[in-house]
This record gives sequence, structure tokens and C-alpha cells, in this order.
Amino acid sequence: MWKELKFAWYAISMNLKNSAELRTSFLMSVVGMALNNIAFIAIWCVFAKVVGNIGGWTVMDVVAMQGITALNFGVVFSLLNGVEKISLYVGSGSFDRFILSPKNLLSRVLVSSLGISAIGDALFGVICLGVYITFVHLSAINFVFMFMGLITSTCLLFAVMLLVQTVSFYVLDPRTATRGLFELFFTPTLFHGGAFQGWMRFVFTFIIPSLLVGALPVEVVKSVSWPQMGLMAVLSLLWLILAVKLFYRGVKRYESANLVTFGS
Amino acid sequence: MRELRLGRKIIGTLIKNSAYNPQRIILDFFALVARCGILLFLYKCVYNWKGSNINNTSYQVIAWSIFLYFIVSIMRPRDITDAIAQDVKTGSIEMILNKPIHYLSYRFYTTIGTGLYSFFILAPLGFLAMALTLGIPSTMTTHAFVLTCTIVGFLCIALSLIVHALLGVLAFWMEDITPVYWIVDKFVMVLGGSYLPVAFFPPVMYQMAIWSPFGAMQFITHTVYDSWAAKAWNMIGIQLFWTLLFGLTLLIVFRKAKERISVNGG
Repeated sequence: MWKELKFAWYAISMNLKNSAELRTSFLMSVVGMALNNIAFIAIWCVFAKVVGNIGGWTVMDVVAMQGITALNFGVVFSLLNGVEKISLYVGSGSFDRFILSPKNLLSRVLVSSLGISAIGDALFGVICLGVYITFVHLSAINFVFMFMGLITSTCLLFAVMLLVQTVSFYVLDPRTATRGLFELFFTPTLFHGGAFQGWMRFVFTFIIPSLLVGALPVEVVKSVSWPQMGLMAVLSLLWLILAVKLFYRGVKRYESANLVTFGS
Repeated sequence: MRELRLGRKIIGTLIKNSAYNPQRIILDFFALVARCGILLFLYKCVYNWKGSNINNTSYQVIAWSIFLYFIVSIMRPRDITDAIAQDVKTGSIEMILNKPIHYLSYRFYTTIGTGLYSFFILAPLGFLAMALTLGIPSTMTTHAFVLTCTIVGFLCIALSLIVHALLGVLAFWMEDITPVYWIVDKFVMVLGGSYLPVAFFPPVMYQMAIWSPFGAMQFITHTVYDSWAAKAWNMIGIQLFWTLLFGLTLLIVFRKAKERISVNGG
């Protein structure tokens, strides 16, 4: 386990060094993505101003939701960007090189790539949460809940991404299928959390767990509800276990393409 | 004339190609459901709580406005940026420059040809679904609407293609144009009335949507409102102005860009 973590850290740092070589491009990607995310804040802030309070959500809650979502996305798609590339590896036949590696298969795949622009997402997330903390004056217990919410929601985002990418082992055109499925899951995470009520809240919590990424962590921080936090943790864990199990089951279906590839 | 014939051929071939490869239409369908479908459900919930009118606009009008935004997006004029940037990065532009067609025209035709099949399938289906579930607003049943909406729709795609092609051509000078693309894309998303319909815009934002090229790329979202009949020709004029201005700029910038090409052979 320790060896695997050491290897993962080594791979991530090498990827980072590699990307930082093109400094201007690196900085532009990071800053550009952070600026780009402001659009969602602008949209939902105007929406909240026009429509008023929906489901008890204020403008600051929207900022926190966008912050948590961006931070989760940033962590998963920067450090573990290989998860997003599984469909590409499987589709092109270059997945062989991971299977042949003596390292743990999943960790080897996950750290095979670094998402530069996602670092901008993470940066944007941190700024949003900083703004939220400054204006809302969170107590210590709120902080604890925010931290736990961030961990569970990051796990969930990773799990769903892995599950979606696992579909690559079962379909003929993995890139298109996985992009479509991920779009279906991720787009609602960017919508105003308070607008999801009734059956839509149920669907987007238990069937397509989009609300677990941004909206529910915000509500947990506000309500300081242990049962809600527990439910989030349990759901995230279940999705994670399911994703890892199905990934390894899917790998068994992979047929080598005899494509010789080198590098990370 | 010869270029037009070639263009028709390119578009026709790409439509046939799309018909044999249904993956793209599956992706577009998922995108339409995920973005537009869920958004319309959300607005439905919001209207259920807040009453039948928000900012003097009914749900039916809002829904059609959002739907039109996403229908134009299915044509994917934005994809031209990446196509041009890839040509520049990989060097394959030198092969296309040798073709008996202007490079930019070639890219315009390929982008239109790739998006047209999904548009032809999903637009009528979506229109039918919307009409059956929500009905058609009275503003959409006039002859003037059909005429102006067609012109505006055409200009939306033309302006989007030109602006995004201009972004792609920037790849001659910039290592990575993606951040610039994202920022322009988000301006279009906000001012075009995608997730937030134009009826909800505060006055300053509305003026920005009217007078900026970003808003003009999605003027089609304005066509379903009551005020459209009075503003239609003015807005078409604004769109035409931006289309001509950016078209001219694109030609000048591309001419400058061509001077930077160095053919290495091989």
C-alpha cells in the first residue's frame, strides 16, 4: 500500500513537472479555467436575485456549491486524470501497457495523466469556499462538516467517473458512450441546488447521484445533520465499492490490441 | 461556383458518414437531455412554486427560449476552433491549403456537415416533444416569426462559425488557445440565455446581450418573446454588423497567419 502511494506521488510529481515545462500554456490553462467557472456563479446569482429564495438557498449557498463542485472536480481530474482517459486507452488498445505493469492496475491507470486545467478548477473551488467562509462565518462544527462533505463528495465523483469509464469495456465506441453518460451525471451538479425538490431530488440523489457532489454537502454544512452526513458517506462508499468491483470485472473482458506503446 | 459545388459535396459526404455512425447522435441526444431536459424540469419546479409568471414571462416562453439555444448548439459551430487549432498544431493545415478550396471555407463546410445530421434528427423531434408537452406560444405562430427566426438562426450559426474560427486561427500565435476558447464560450453561454433565459436578465446584462457579439451569437433565444416583433429587424441588423465585422477580421487575421506557415515537407 505504502509503495503504491509512493509510486502514485512520484507519477503525479513527474506529470506536473512535465506540464510545467510549457509555463505560459500551464498558467493560462489554470487561470483560464478559474475565470471560466465564474460564469456559473454569475448565472445562478442572477437567477437567485430574480426568482428569490428557493428551497432555503441563498446566493452564498450557490457560491459554496460551485466551490465544492469545482474543488472535487479539480482534485479528481487533475491528480487522478487517468480515470477520464480509460475509455481512450481501451478504445485505442493502449490499455495493454497498464495490465503488463507490475504496479497495482487501478493506481497505475489513475496517475497516468495530469489534468492541467483542472488545477484551475481546484483553485476556483478554494477561492469560492474562502468567500463563503468569510461571509457566512462558519463555526468549528460547520468546518468539520465541510471537510467531511468534501471528502465524501470527492470520493463519489471519482467513483461515478470510474463507473462511467468502466462502461468502455462493454461497448464498441467507448469515448462517445462515456462522454454522454458523464454529461448526464455531471451537468445537474452545476444547477441551482435549491431547485431540486420532490421526485427530482430523489432521482438525483439515489439513481443519478449528482446532488451528492455539490448541493447536499452544502445543505449538510448548513444543517449540521449527522444522519444526512452519514447517508452521504454510506452512499459514496457504496458507489466506490461498486465502481472498483465493476472496473476489475470489466478488465477481464478487455482483449489485447497488441498495440505497442511506451511512456506514462 | 466550383467552391460551392465542393462545399455541397463535403456537406453531403459528411451527412452520409454521420448516418452510418450513430455515435454522434447518441452523444448529442444525451447532451440535449442532460442540459436542456433537466433544466426545463427545474424551471418547471421553480414556476410551480413561484406562480405562473416570473418577471412577466410564462414558463412556456422560457422553455422555448432555452430549447432554441440548445437546438442551435447541436450544430456545434464551436467545434471549428478545435479543428483549426489541431490542423495548426499537427501541421496538417499544409495539406488542406493545397486543396482547390479556401481553407476557411473547407473548415466551415466540414463543421456544418458534421453537425447537420444530428440537427436534422434532433431538432424536429425536440420541436415535436416541446409542442406536444407545452404547446406553442402565440408569438411563434406568426408569419413574421417564421421569417425572422429563420434569418436569425442562420446568422447565429454564421456568426458563431466566424468567431470560433477566429479563435482557432489564434493557434498560429498562441501555444494553447483553450483558455481563450473557454472564456468566449462562457460569455456566449451567459449572454446567450442558456441556463438563464434573457427574460431574467437585469437591465445592464440585457443591454450587454443585445450589443455584444456574444449575445448576438444566440439571438434566436429572443425570438419567442412578445417584444420580438418590434425589435426583430434591429437585432438582425446588429447580427449582420457583427457577422461582417468578424468576417472581415477573420480574413485579415488568416492572411497574416498564412505568412507564418513554414512547410517542412516530409
